[in-house]
Amino acid sequence: MTTRRPAPVYLNLFRISFPVGAVTSFAHRVSGVLLTLSFPFLVYLLDLSLQDADGFSRATAWLQSTGFRFGSALIAWSMFHHLFSGVRYLLIDIEAGVGLRQARASAWLVNIAGVAATLLYLGWVL
Amino acid sequence: MSHRADGLRTWLLQRVSAIYLGVFLLYVLAHFWLNPHLDYVAWHGWVASPVVSIAGAGFILALLIHGWVGLRDVTLDYIHHLGLRLVVLTLVAFLLIGCGFWAMRILIVISS
Repeated sequence: MTTRRPAPVYLNLFRISFPVGAVTSFAHRVSGVLLTLSFPFLVYLLDLSLQDADGFSRATAWLQSTGFRFGSALIAWSMFHHLFSGVRYLLIDIEAGVGLRQARASAWLVNIAGVAATLLYLGWVL
Repeated sequence: MSHRADGLRTWLLQRVSAIYLGVFLLYVLAHFWLNPHLDYVAWHGWVASPVVSIAGAGFILALLIHGWVGLRDVTLDYIHHLGLRLVVLTLVAFLLIGCGFWAMRILIVISS
């Protein structure tokens, strides 16, 4: 297929404005990749926590340690954002909230809820 | 199975596994929420209980399916060089299968 009209090209990242739904969508991908990459580490923590009482306290101490706090928050955010945006996609699949206004509102809700849940997690674990 | 039907099957697998993962994850989070001061004995007993270890094995299986479909999609979208694509997909497969066996082993050992 050929088009007569030249397509506009705005590859300057500072001139492209991402609609909020695109941010949600891209974050869904990023969080999915991060969760997969953290899989070995999470299985290791599970293994350690189930070995004996000493392993259990080492695993919980690690989750609460200052050094791991950033990584822990990143995994928590990935999990919450992926969960919330995943529910949003499942609802959109059954044609719930597909209108532009609703879809934008739910995208904002998902983005904010992911960050809020991460902050709650940090408050709870620390 | 035709290529189109295969795509539909993958789409469905991703949704079904997503629902399982979401429900189990909420169950685990609710357990942590309701039992904030877990100790080793309580934690070990909870994971070793038949319901949790069997549902957990299902979670691992759903995670392998969901992770594979998701990372395959992301890889095919962003990596266009065929050789690099194969390398990345192979590494993803090893990561998922390796961690899957490891997690299954933990669940089998703890419940036996």
